[in-house]
Formats: sequence, structure tokens, C-alpha cells
Amino acid sequence: MADVRTYTLIYVVLLVLGTGKFLFFMDASPLTYNMALAGTFALAVAKTLLISGYYMHLLEEPRAISYMMVIAVFMVFLLTIAAGYSIQ
Amino acid sequence: MGDLPPMTSVKRWLVTTNHKDVGILYLATALFFLLLGGVLALLFRAHLWAPGGLGLLSGDEYNQAVTSHGLLMVFWFLSPFAAGFANYFVPLQIGADDLAFPRLNALSYWFYLFSGILIAASFFQGGTFAGGWTMYAPLNVPTYTPAMEATSGGNGTILGLALFVISITVGTVNFLVTIHRSRAEGLGLWNMPLFTWSWLLTVWMMLFAFAALLAAVLLQLSDRLFLTQYFAAEQGSGLLWAHLFWFFGHPEVYIVFFPALGIMFETFQTFTGRRLVGRKWVIISMVLVAVQSFLVWMHHMFLTTINLEIKTLMMATTIGISLPFDLMVFALIYTMIKGRVRFTTPFLFALGALVLFILGGITGVFLGAVVLDYEFRGTYWVVAHFHYVMVSGVTALIGGLFYWWPKITGKMYSEALGKLTFAVYFIGFNLLYFPQFIAWETPRRVFHFNPELTFFHQLSTVGAFVFGASFLVMFATLIHSLAYGPRAPDNPWEYSRTAEWAISSPPPLENWGGRPTYASGRLEFVDDVKAATDGGVTQGATADAHSHEEHADHASIWPFGIGVATFIFFLGLTGITSYLVEFAEARGHSVVGAPDPNIIYPVLTVVGLVALGYTLFKFGVEEFNAPEMPVAERWPFEGAGNTKLGVWVFLASDVVVFGAIIGAYVFMRLHFGWGTWQLDTIQWAGLLNTYVLLTSSFTVILALVYAERQSKRGLLGAMGATLLLALTFMSVKAYEYGSKFADGIYWWSSIEYSIYFVTTGMHALHVIIGVLIALFMIYRIVSVDAYLEDHRPVEFFGLYWHFVDIVWVFLFPLFYLM
Repeated sequence: MADVRTYTLIYVVLLVLGTGKFLFFMDASPLTYNMALAGTFALAVAKTLLISGYYMHLLEEPRAISYMMVIAVFMVFLLTIAAGYSIQ
Repeated sequence: MGDLPPMTSVKRWLVTTNHKDVGILYLATALFFLLLGGVLALLFRAHLWAPGGLGLLSGDEYNQAVTSHGLLMVFWFLSPFAAGFANYFVPLQIGADDLAFPRLNALSYWFYLFSGILIAASFFQGGTFAGGWTMYAPLNVPTYTPAMEATSGGNGTILGLALFVISITVGTVNFLVTIHRSRAEGLGLWNMPLFTWSWLLTVWMMLFAFAALLAAVLLQLSDRLFLTQYFAAEQGSGLLWAHLFWFFGHPEVYIVFFPALGIMFETFQTFTGRRLVGRKWVIISMVLVAVQSFLVWMHHMFLTTINLEIKTLMMATTIGISLPFDLMVFALIYTMIKGRVRFTTPFLFALGALVLFILGGITGVFLGAVVLDYEFRGTYWVVAHFHYVMVSGVTALIGGLFYWWPKITGKMYSEALGKLTFAVYFIGFNLLYFPQFIAWETPRRVFHFNPELTFFHQLSTVGAFVFGASFLVMFATLIHSLAYGPRAPDNPWEYSRTAEWAISSPPPLENWGGRPTYASGRLEFVDDVKAATDGGVTQGATADAHSHEEHADHASIWPFGIGVATFIFFLGLTGITSYLVEFAEARGHSVVGAPDPNIIYPVLTVVGLVALGYTLFKFGVEEFNAPEMPVAERWPFEGAGNTKLGVWVFLASDVVVFGAIIGAYVFMRLHFGWGTWQLDTIQWAGLLNTYVLLTSSFTVILALVYAERQSKRGLLGAMGATLLLALTFMSVKAYEYGSKFADGIYWWSSIEYSIYFVTTGMHALHVIIGVLIALFMIYRIVSVDAYLEDHRPVEFFGLYWHFVDIVWVFLFPLFYLM
């Protein structure tokens, strides 16, 4: 388990990443819609990894738990992407 | 509470948490629902005696009978019957004392029973759901079929299904933790009995598949109860339902069939006196099927508007999934050839199941081909194929009932009566369904058919009654056994190999005299206490010898209490639609079809909710000891405790529930055109709530730090801060919703706002549940200094809370930025 300092650092990073998503979509942002979309997704994934890895201590748990969660996320992507593709 | 009354006492069955008792409850209840579903089938088969019907049923009654027959058989009979065997025998086969969470096991059962009672009650609430067991949109909501569906009973059916899925989810968590963490010393996964293997894969499939169904059912309930527009939108609704339902629905075929397959493997081994040929490859094949089952769902959608490329891909994956099954079928056939077959009743049923499955499998290949499916879809070919596969599973399960009957009851049955049961059963079934292949051009779901096919339908109806009679013979056989059967020895079958046959019939409450171990390569029982005290050399004895003596509780009334409270709550919800309609119509919304208001329903809702709160609280504070096995095989989850793993498994399920709901948003937006989506939300509110939730994640982790430091003040402060932040989040959410209402925008206003309110509302519901848990924990910290000695519950709460935060990480951009 990490110390309070690490947790605090991660908290600050999470706040920054959360703000980043917001900035991507501001009118003044130089990014196109698709770039903002991709950037937001990347930041969301980074936040998820930080929260699950450190706050939920997934890094310290048996690797099989991570695999199980990855399979669950894969199921969601499988359903969403395949269903989305089916109507293209 | 912990002491268990005798089996002759009614109280025993209300309070028991013992896995064998719960198994018996599952088996008995599933058989009751088999009878209910069977009587409905006989009713509509009699009606089908002549084209256009005999006049026994009106059109709507026919639809209700067909729909509820399908739902009852698939959900309330097949899987729970298998769950009954799994409850009773999986812990025995792996050498466990009980399931990992005995009270949750009892809770699963009570949710199951009460979900079935909701279905039964729905017939008396203006009529049960009548839109077919697949509940296709838009037939599943009242908008387009007000006469059929606008009843409290229609809602009751779907609420019953939701409660059933919750029961499944709780059970899934329990079995996954048990099988992965409570196997006897030396029992690696490869060496597990095949019934346990089949059940392990079943619950893995259940974990992900039923989560998708829960998402689908929740969205449907949102439409039915709260008037959202998911399945009544001008486009995309039908496909959305089909994707969600069949993503669950195809794995469900294997979820239903795998336990039956496991019983076939067990009985083939026992009654041929030979180890299953290609055992390792059979296990690999089952794993392959479990994986592939999630890659074929769109073969149920060949007649929809999905594109040809994906249809072709799904045709290939469908043909692919038949290959591992071929291997399993050949393994069974070769086991018979290489062994010496004893044609006992369980074996006859297992063999019959194999024959039916081969026929069902071959006829299914036709439906997997796109072009042939265009012809066969919606005909009796599908009905016959489907029943050959499903009832093949039933046949093996009935074989399992005869196989394990002596172990459960301690009584032998009459082989002559057993064989008579099989003969009537097998003839009846084939007389019922084979003519339907010949009369395949009959359209499904209606009772009008070409008069030239009347003879085949009459054969089918006669077969239905013969088939029904076989169950009466079966019950007579079993009652005869209970009354007159000789006592069963520990192992009545000469070549059975699994651990349940190594103990008395029926097994004692605590299962084992000593600790079961496979460390030497074969099953042995060791006395840890003796080994530790007299310096004995028994293998596997551990330093923690006394923990095996730890007292385990077997009784709690609160699972039953939660079940009753949930039933009352759900029964109340069945009738609240009319009040929502009044609310919506007062705001200018026009609603098609709603039942008349009845004050009893809101009253039941409130009473149920209060009772649920009370029983959950009592469940939470009850002292109940279910010790972890001190010595056990735990691969691949050695490092995590039972409860922590249970929380993670639950979260994996919740990922799919939330993911499917978010996926529904993405799908509908793609269908409408991504750029034309009309949703106006308050960006700063979303950003503010992002900060609030992230901060609450930080305070929760601080709570864990303080709990580890045994600082009561710090723990209380951090938990209190988390609570305040959660309430802040809800206040911002209330402001957001309030501003929309002020603009005349509600959840029924458009598909965009339906999805916005439901998805963010589901998240808010998770926050509210978190608030209630936090309140309970703060109460426990204040009242009994909880979590200072054992901080794990704070960690478990944190896992849940961080998950809620992660969901918001995705909801914020999806609903406020994009």
C-alpha cells in the first residue's frame, strides 16, 4: 500500500487530467472535435488506470483480478463496437 | 443466530444457510416452476389441436401462456435446477465445508423464489407479460401494444426477471469465490470433477452474460415504470434490444446446457466404469465454447438490418462453436465404446440427452447459415431445434436427479420405475417435437397454421401429454422411494469417483469428519488437531490446526427477511406507472396505455423500502461466522481474501452492467447520427462533480490509511468527509435536473434526454447506495469502534466507491463535453 504522499500526488494528477478533458472541448481549444474525442478518451483511460492501480491497489493484488477486470472491459468494448459496426 | 433446527421444522428451511439445504430448496422450487411452465405448455398445445385454436384461450391469453412458459422454463426451471445440484454437490466435490458466503447463498435462493412468485402474481394483476420470452422491442413496452402490455402484471414479469438476475449475480459471486478459493489441498483446477468444471465455466459465463441482461432489463423497466423512450424511439430501439438481449441470450444457451453436460460426463464415467476419453481436451473444449459463446450473438439477428459483413462473420463464428462440441460428443461416444455400460436410469437419461443434443445440434447448424436462416427464422423449425437442445439439457438434469437422489435422501429408488419414467419421457418428448420438424412451415407464436399440417400438430399435442405424464411417473417413483426405498449406502454406484460418494448418504451437516486432502494424489481425510498435538505424520497438517475447529454458523433469518422486503418493494413498483403517467400528463406528455391507479402499490413500495432498509441493517450487524478454510488450493487468487475477491467479482459484473448502459448510449447516438444528437447539459456542473468525486476518492483512501493507523478520529473524519462530498455531488445533480425540469425537459422528452437521465441517474443511484453504506459504517465506528482492529471493510467500501468514481470519469465527457 502506498503512503499518503503518493495518494496526494495521484489526487493532484487526477484533478489535472479531469480539467484537461474539459479544456479539450472549450471553444478556445485548438483541437478538432475528433482530436478532442481521442484526447479525452486517452485521459479517461489514464485516470482509470491510476485510480484502479493505486487507489484500488490493483497493482498489489493477484494479477488474475486485473485479468478478470480486463475481460469485463473487453466485453463492454466487444458489445459496443460490434453493435456499432453492425449498423454502419 | 447460528443453531440450525431439525429438518422436520419449517423454521429450519427459513433460516438455513447450509449449502445442502439451499440446494434442496433450489431443486424443489425449480420442480414447482417446471410444473407451472409445463401446465401452461399443455394448455396451449391443447389449443393448437386445430388450426385457429380450439377456443380454450383468447389471443391474448395464448400470448401470455406462450410467453410465460418460455420465461419460466428458461429462467425459473433450467438454471435454478442446475443451481440446486451445484449448491449441494460443488462444495462436496471440491472438499469445501460450505460456500464462501453462506448467507448470500440463502439470499440468492430467496431472491429466486420471490422473483418466481412475482411472475405467478403477475397473472392476477391484469395479465402477465405477453410479448414473447425474448421480449423484443417495441413489443416489450406499452407504447405500441397498449392492450397487451399496459398492466401491472406486465411490469411484474419484468421486475421478477430483474430480481431473478440479481439472484443470479449474487450466486455467481459466491460460486466463483468458492471454487477458486476453497478447493481441498492438492485439488488443482485440472483435477476438479467434470460437473464442477462445467459449473465453474457456467458461472463465469453468467457473470458477464447476465450483467448484459440486467442492463437490458433495467432499461426496459425504466421505459415501463418511468416512461423513458429507449425501446419506443423512432429508430434503433429494436436493434438495441436485440443486441443487449442476445449478447446475453446466446451464452445463456450454454449456461443452461453446461451443467447438464457436466452431469453427462459424470454419469458416463460412473456407468461405463471408465475415465472420460480425452478428458483434458474435453475441458479445453468447454473453455473454448465459453469464450466463443460471446462471439456469435448476431446469428439471432440475421433477419434484422445489420450489415452483411457482420452477418457473415457471425455465421463463421457460429459454425466454429460447433467444433468443440463435436469433440465432446465424440469423447462421450468413445467412453461408451471403451467402457462396460450399465444401463441404469441415470445413464439412460444421460444417453438420451446425448441423442437429443446431437439432433438439436445438427438442426441448429441450418439456422447458423444466413441464407437458410432467412427461410427457417420464425418457423417451427426453430421451436423444434430449440427444444431439442434445451430439453436435452433437461434430460441430463433429470438423470442427475436420479444419480444423486440416493445421496440427497439416503434412499434408493426403484430401477424398474426409473426406467419406465425414462421410456415414457423419451417417447413423449420425441412425439412432441419431432413432428414439428416435419411441420416446420408453421409460423411461431401464433395458433393459425395450414390445415394440411393438422395431423402433425395433433401428434405433437398427444406427445405433450405423454411427456407431461412422464413427470407424474417420475414424481411417483421418487415418492415411492421416500416411502419404501431401501437405505442407500455411501456409494451405491460401483465406479463413481467424486468426493460426495466418500461420505454418508445423506451427508452430515458439516460434510467431513476430517479435513479432505488430495495431497497424496487421492482423497484422504486428515485430523489436523490430532496431527498437531500428538506429532503425527499426516500429510497436510498445518500449524494453524485449531482453526479447522472454528465454529461455523448455519442459520440466519435475515436473508429470508431481505427476500420478503424486496418482494414487497418490487410488488409495489409493479403498479406505480399510472402515477408517473398522471405526473407526465400534467406536464403535457401524452401516454398510451396505463393501468388504473391503485393506492396499494405506492403503499407497498414504501413499506417494502422501509423493511428492506431494516432487514439489510440487521443483516449488516448480525454476528455470523463463516470461516475461510485454513488449508485450501486458491489458484489463481491466492493473495486476496474471500470477501475482497467477492467485491472484485461483483465489480466485474457491474462493469458490464454500466458498460452495456453506456454502450446503449453510444449505439443509439450512432444510429441517430453522432453529430445530430440534441443534448444540452450544464458543463460546469459536470466538471464540478468531477472534482467532488475525485476528492471523495481521496478521502476514502485516507479513511483506509487512518483505519490502518487505528485512528478512530481520523477514520471518522475521512468517512464523514466522503459522506459530505457524496451529498454535495447529489446536490449538484439535483440542481442540474431541476434546471432541466424548469425548462420543461423531462426523461420522456426525447431519446437523448431519456438516455441522459437514466445513465446519470443509474450512477446517482450508486452514489446513494454508497451514502447509505457510509452512514452504516460511520454508525458502526461510533457505536462499536468498528474497523480499527480489522480495516478490511473500509477497503471494500473504497473499492466500490472508486468504481463509482471511474464510471463518472467516462460519463462526464460523454454527457457534458461531446
